[in-house]
Amino acid sequence: MNRYQFEDSISAYLDNELSIADRKIFEEYMNVNIDAKSLVNEIQLTIESTKNFKNIKTSKEFMPNLFKRIEFEKNRPSKKIIDKPSSTLFGFTPFYAILMSALVISFIYIGINFWPETILMDNSKQLFTGDIKAPTLDLDDLNTKTQSTVLVSKEAKNDSSDTTIINKKNLRLNNKVKFVKDQK
Amino acid sequence: MNQQLQNLSMVHSAVDNDFKFSDEELILRFQQGDEQSYIELVNRYRDRLINFIYRFVNDVESAEDIVQDALLKVYTHKHYYKNIAKFSTWLYTIAGNLAKTELRKKKTRKVTNLSQMGPEDKDYELTSNEPATDKAALNEYLEKRIQIAINKLPLHFKTIIILREIQELSYEEISKIVDVPLGTVKSRINRARLQLQKELKDIKIGDSI
Repeated sequence: MNRYQFEDSISAYLDNELSIADRKIFEEYMNVNIDAKSLVNEIQLTIESTKNFKNIKTSKEFMPNLFKRIEFEKNRPSKKIIDKPSSTLFGFTPFYAILMSALVISFIYIGINFWPETILMDNSKQLFTGDIKAPTLDLDDLNTKTQSTVLVSKEAKNDSSDTTIINKKNLRLNNKVKFVKDQK
Repeated sequence: MNQQLQNLSMVHSAVDNDFKFSDEELILRFQQGDEQSYIELVNRYRDRLINFIYRFVNDVESAEDIVQDALLKVYTHKHYYKNIAKFSTWLYTIAGNLAKTELRKKKTRKVTNLSQMGPEDKDYELTSNEPATDKAALNEYLEKRIQIAINKLPLHFKTIIILREIQELSYEEISKIVDVPLGTVKSRINRARLQLQKELKDIKIGDSI
């Protein structure tokens, strides 16, 4: 046992919480070291001295004063916060309502500006460099007023299964895409 | 209502109360509206509390005010007590927190309390009805020296020493009051005792007795 272990065990020894074996080791150390024994004795005497501290008693006015305070506490009017009624907009004062509105509008504006372009793109914008429009699936809808340049033959029109009608004349793919039929 | 409370306290002191309710039973009865139970609790704890608080603030008047604050809180917040822990644990926790608050206020005010002076200076003398004897004078001297040493301890050591040595509470109860694990309480007690001895190094208690 070293000094640190000894000091850590002093309270346990004084409170009779050490096991028999630990107590034996502790007492052996104490008997060998005079300083250690002196320290334990002093701590023990200090503890006994605290038991002899004078007992302080409350004064005669203690109970009457306590009752007065209880009475005061009972009869104290509840704290009411009387606020001048102010006009509010959805619970916000005018100043905060304006501030919140400005923040919401600015968020919407920023959101629109940072929105992905692909989503905002107009349907009339061409995906290919050619004049080809996406072939319409509804072959019956051949209104000449539409902007579609897809030409549908009468036979194709009757053939409802053929949905890949492309105007080859207007096809400009810059040689990026070649149809199987065109490959020689 | 004030008169009613005072009448109840007089009735209580006049009756020889052989059957004693436990503290927990009394607080439960008080929660149900029995004010006499509250008075019984006050009478049981007022002296213990003032001794506890006095060791923190070293001033009997301040200690009495703080004890009243604690008991007033018990009155106004009776429903906050739940029968999970002992009533004394709850009460000591309230009183301890109020004492620590007062200590913090004192620090900011920087007021020197006469009772904190050494025995060679004039300081507060505890009133006693017993005739002064050499032993009594010696005990009083030792008490003041130990109290000065306790005052020098850090707050967490001071609290534990007061609860253990002076209030003689168990480790388990101290653990609940200061809200630290049991092992920590035992460790702190040990270190607090060692540090207290360092502060008392200049006098040897064994020689005096």
